[in-house]
Amino acid sequence: MESLEALVAHIQGLSGSPEEVAHLHSLLKQADGDSLRAHAAALVPFLAYLSPETHSLGYLYLLEACATSGSNLSEFGGGDFLVTIAGFLTACSADQIRLAPDKFLNVCRVLKDQVMQLNMPIRGIAPLRAAVRKIQSSPEQLTPVHADYLLLCLLAKQYMAGLSILEDDIFEVDQPKDLFLYCYYGGMIYIGLKKFPKALELLHNAVTAPMSMLNAIAVEAYKKYVLVSLIVNGQVPSFPKYTSVSAQRSMKNHAQIYVELSTSYSNGRYTDLETFVQANSATFQSDNNLGLVKQVLSSMYKRNIQRLTQTYLTLSLEDIARSVQLETPRDAEMHVLRMIEDGEIHATINQKDGMVSFHEDPEQYKSVEMVEHIDSSIQRLTALSKKLASIDENMSCDPAYLMKTGRDRGRFDGRFDYDDYDSVPHKFF
Amino acid sequence: MSAPSDAAAAVDTPAPTTAAASSSGGFTFKLHPLVIVNVSDHHTRVKAQAACSGDSSSSSSGAGAGQPPRVFGCVIGVQRGRTVEIFNSFELVLDPVSGTLDRAFLEKKQELYKKVFPDFYVLGWYSTGSDVHDTDMQIHKALMDVNESPVYLLLNPTINLSQKDLPVTIYESELHVIDGSPQLIFVRSNYTIETVEAERISVDHVAHLKPSDGGSAATQLAAHLTGIHSAIKMLNSRVRVIHQYLVAMQKGDIPMDNSLLRQVSSLVRRLPAMESQKFQDDFLMEYNDTLLMTYLAMFTNCSSTMNELVEKINTSYERPTTRRGGRGAFM
Repeated sequence: MESLEALVAHIQGLSGSPEEVAHLHSLLKQADGDSLRAHAAALVPFLAYLSPETHSLGYLYLLEACATSGSNLSEFGGGDFLVTIAGFLTACSADQIRLAPDKFLNVCRVLKDQVMQLNMPIRGIAPLRAAVRKIQSSPEQLTPVHADYLLLCLLAKQYMAGLSILEDDIFEVDQPKDLFLYCYYGGMIYIGLKKFPKALELLHNAVTAPMSMLNAIAVEAYKKYVLVSLIVNGQVPSFPKYTSVSAQRSMKNHAQIYVELSTSYSNGRYTDLETFVQANSATFQSDNNLGLVKQVLSSMYKRNIQRLTQTYLTLSLEDIARSVQLETPRDAEMHVLRMIEDGEIHATINQKDGMVSFHEDPEQYKSVEMVEHIDSSIQRLTALSKKLASIDENMSCDPAYLMKTGRDRGRFDGRFDYDDYDSVPHKFF
Repeated sequence: MSAPSDAAAAVDTPAPTTAAASSSGGFTFKLHPLVIVNVSDHHTRVKAQAACSGDSSSSSSGAGAGQPPRVFGCVIGVQRGRTVEIFNSFELVLDPVSGTLDRAFLEKKQELYKKVFPDFYVLGWYSTGSDVHDTDMQIHKALMDVNESPVYLLLNPTINLSQKDLPVTIYESELHVIDGSPQLIFVRSNYTIETVEAERISVDHVAHLKPSDGGSAATQLAAHLTGIHSAIKMLNSRVRVIHQYLVAMQKGDIPMDNSLLRQVSSLVRRLPAMESQKFQDDFLMEYNDTLLMTYLAMFTNCSSTMNELVEKINTSYERPTTRRGGRGAFM
């Protein structure tokens, strides 16, 4: 085991070109281990000799040894050490740290734990955001850092910060737990931002993700999923066929109250829903869902007013108030006005005689913006379709799949399946 | 007959028999598309048959192993005054050893055609290749006893994508004085394509190669859209050519041509053909409708791929909830 000074000298010397870095990496791996951690206390001053950008790999090894040494970080001058880690995460070079990803993840986790211990989640947001971008090999990859980052954003109530990470679509996942946490936290952030359709998407992913056994994250996600889908759609859809079998069987049992809430919602009577919510408010509170349940309650009005648009062309404000179970026509007017502003219904209020006339969607589809909008959607869909086709091909070559189908086919003694051959070509482009 | 032709051959071979000069004879040639279709068909058939059976044969046949063999035949038609109209053609057998046509066969064919088309005479002969061969003059002279001045129709079977004209050239023979001695050389002639309505329809049909049973709606739609697509592509490439030309003129690479500029300007001024708000609205609405339909089609395509993918994943990795037979996994 070389002395620390020699190691630091190596790091400083060998951080130039990629070949040198590879050589350095092997040296560091040799030097790594408990022996390095034992000298943890001595390492900190050495960090000052190294710069995070050029010597990222060496810096990472030393930093990780300090961080995971098990001793209390306040020995290192607690807050300063945090600053050191934060500085490293923002400044390090992505190529070098990708050579030692697990060490990098350890460092990030230590940062997150430390920040939560100090009860200052906001300090961890900027460094972790930089860390996410650096360790991702492509913007479509999910890393464990995503989940930690979203958790910090939630705790610090900085929802907009989480938005930039959430906007990327995820196509590659390594650890299932990462996916569940990411979808759950991401859903909560969108709920915080009141973007319910996107929240619904993420929570749906969490609920329908493949799982061999039901896990707690999915159950919590399901509870929120029921509530959000009531707000957005007014009903809870049944499980699609790509949901895992274990989820289909036992999910509803763990979220019984929510299922009852949804049935009561579908009856359409505000007062019944209100009494139900009052009765079970303790349960909702313990799940931290009471705020969301209150939003479900207020969305009930919107749902009923929307139902009215399908029956009536014009309606007076008193009638609206009566059928939706609001107290006064003023309340009805407020609700309708807000809905018109949000674009949820198309109507005009005639203030003189208190009549509301409902209209059709005024979109004529004759503008150039609509052309661009549809065109961009088509482009996105083409890209997605290509990806999907390639995944489908990969799946067809998957040995598990071939084994299952081959075994069933064997019973027919290799008889050709004529249904597989079509006369009309499927691809026109 | 043989001695003069030997002498002519001895004189002919060093001197080039091809000529870039155009004919001064004043004949007007009219070519019917049936002839072109016939010649190309003949060539394709022979090439395909040679490819099938010629893998083991020696390279003595025709013009080397790399090139397709040349085909020969006669063209027949009507000559009225200075107008020569070529209606039809038939194949001939060329003796590869002696390089002469089979006269008996030619005469028999001529008789048969005379019975059906009494007006048609043998006007000349055709062959394939990229340029006139030295031996062609011999054949040409041999035919001179049937027709005093036969025509020679040459089809170039190599596909040249940049060429926009038909790869068919018509040569006449003229007596020119070269190096002091009179010789027969081939000179190019211009020709026009002449069609009767029936010919136009049949050539159109052959060119588009529609499926014989009319196809299902899907293939018909695809064929129709392919036609429109190629038309638009051609329009686009033409416009691009004009654009590049104008850019080059602006940069100064090409000298300014005012008459061309006037033409382009008049073309540009003719567009847009329609300019009114109502037109814009209707146009955009229809455009959006088509886009939405495409979107819907893509959606359906995507959903079906997704569905298959989910089925596959379910069969591979999930325990089935009900016992399904082997067919259950497929559609």
